[in-house]
Amino acid sequence: MESSSDKRAGEIMYFQMAFRNLRRNGIRSSLAIIGIIIGVMAVASIGIFGANLKATVLSNFQNITNEVLIYPAYSAKLRHGIVTTSGVTYIDKRTAERIVRLPYVKDYAFVCSNFATVKYREGVFGATVYGMDEKSVKKLFSVEKGSIKLSGSCVVGYDLADRLNLRVGSRLEIKGKEFRVAGILKEAGARFDVNPNNAIIISLRDFDKTFNAKGYSFIVVWVRSLNDVQLFKDAVEKTINAKEKKVDVFELKIIISKINETFNFVSRFLMAIAGVSLLVAGVSILNVMLMSTIERTKEIGVMLAIGAYRSTILKLFLLEALILGIIGSVIGALLSLAGGYTVDMLILHSTKYLFSVTTVFYMLEGMFFGLLTTLLSGFYPAWKASRLEPLEALRYE
Amino acid sequence: MYAIELKDVKKVYRVGNEDIYAVNGVSLKVKVGEFLCVMGASGSGKTTLLSLMGCLDKPTSGKVIVEGVDTSELGDRELTKIRRDKIGFVFQQYHLIPTLTAFENVELPMLLKGISKKERERRAMELLKIMGIDKAANRKPSELSGGMQQRVAIARALANNPKILLCDEPTGNLDTKSGEVVMNLIKQQNEKGVTVVLVTHDPDISKYADRVVRIRDGKLIGQESG
Ligand SMILES: Nc1ncnc2c1ncn2[C@@H]1O[C@H](COP(=O)(O)OP(=O)(O)OP(=O)(O)O)[C@@H](O)[C@H]1O
Ligand SMILES: [Mg+2]
Repeated sequence: MESSSDKRAGEIMYFQMAFRNLRRNGIRSSLAIIGIIIGVMAVASIGIFGANLKATVLSNFQNITNEVLIYPAYSAKLRHGIVTTSGVTYIDKRTAERIVRLPYVKDYAFVCSNFATVKYREGVFGATVYGMDEKSVKKLFSVEKGSIKLSGSCVVGYDLADRLNLRVGSRLEIKGKEFRVAGILKEAGARFDVNPNNAIIISLRDFDKTFNAKGYSFIVVWVRSLNDVQLFKDAVEKTINAKEKKVDVFELKIIISKINETFNFVSRFLMAIAGVSLLVAGVSILNVMLMSTIERTKEIGVMLAIGAYRSTILKLFLLEALILGIIGSVIGALLSLAGGYTVDMLILHSTKYLFSVTTVFYMLEGMFFGLLTTLLSGFYPAWKASRLEPLEALRYE
Repeated sequence: MYAIELKDVKKVYRVGNEDIYAVNGVSLKVKVGEFLCVMGASGSGKTTLLSLMGCLDKPTSGKVIVEGVDTSELGDRELTKIRRDKIGFVFQQYHLIPTLTAFENVELPMLLKGISKKERERRAMELLKIMGIDKAANRKPSELSGGMQQRVAIARALANNPKILLCDEPTGNLDTKSGEVVMNLIKQQNEKGVTVVLVTHDPDISKYADRVVRIRDGKLIGQESG
């Protein structure tokens, strides 16, 4: 007589019973659902916004995950109580050539940098001057006006050009040498290698002549994949740094993961605060279900009298909580999309990261916590209902 | 074997510092197929006695044996199964589930037993027909008269084909005519072989019974024949 398909057929009737019980007190159930909606919406919206904020910030650091910076080894030592620095402040050209010929290197850029006083018209100002080859500049930056041409000429950063009213064709004097401005670069986001916004970029050869440089200030190396970062580092240690520590390898991957960590933490923290609204919703569900349990004491007595297991009573009440939770969580998650959209618009002025997998993830997470809250707060009343004594429940007035 | 056998059953309620003997040493044997009427005034212990017979409550002392099974040995789930499969309850206040239709109320004990939807529907319709209320199958209890509600309750009590029907003042809330209809339906089941124990304070009801015992202050009085 009892088969699994029969049991399942039975479940539908349990669902119907739960639904009708919730409908019996429509307003109360609706209020409980609204509580869950608000809670889920708050948690998921904040999660979505946090993820989008992170994505926006990280977009400024795009394509640097495969990037490795190599600096001359520079170590501070204590000698006789006095801090002295040892090592050199540049990477000599021979070492540099050896480094970029190592395996795993996909592309590279030699960079020289120095701070210099620059003359423009009647004024004198200080600026960072970079020496790079044309190809590397083209790879890293794009031009706003003019073009990237470095033989005898220079390109200038956006902010510098803006500040000094530089134009294509303007003439700057660096250490007595004159450079024509060939191009003005677009504003660049925050970077860890070359920061061109307030700088002047000239060719490596011009840099050598101007500053009498003996090597490079640092090398930017792009490896083939993320996994190659470590392999490349190991290779540098084994070959270049084998006898003495000549260079330090600095991977930008770490920065990305730090940013990730920080934003995740902030996001979690804000979500936890939003979670308080879920807690309130949970208390309201607890209240609704407890009232419902007390009101239906007699009915529970009847159910027990005609042969319902205590576990069946528990299941029925949990089912009611579950239905409240599912309805509230689904609506809340859907509305969190609107919430995320609004906050993104207000704060980030962009919603380009809204429709992504992370958004779905936070919607699901909001739903999960919504369901968890309802089940947890529905459990005590359900358990109480299932522990009633049949005769006492029947006699309850 | 008896349908139900009580051996020196006591039920004590403690109220404050006072012990109230709702049932005070009742021994009783109910034969299979018998229609037993327990008569007593209000507060004499009828409902308590019937609840003990139907495993709705456990005695403070003594033994309740249902169809040869000593229920004092049984756990919660086993007692529930006895109520579900072997016993049908009919209460004075009908006690139908208000959210369910008449039909669904009759289905419910079968649902709890795990019987298939098809079989449940067949049996529920059959019972509602026997009770003469199949036309009201889809109405909620609140849309039914007292007499009709009690007939739904009897149909529900019979859903899982129990051998024993326990009725607590089934006509207590009904007018004479509806009361008669209900009593005839119960008698009809008894004639089909269902053991009936009915408690009441209404002497008129006793005419349906094979045997009448009286209860006062939790004790049976008068002779116990059989
Ligand atoms: N839970 C309880 N706690 C204390 N006393 C109780 C409890 N239940 C019943 N009693 C007492 O036990 C006695 C018997 O009660 P019971 O309900 O069995 O009587 P009854 O014969 O069914 O009465 P009625 O005709 O009013 O239904 C009464 O005095 C009642 O007050
Ligand atoms: Mg009573």
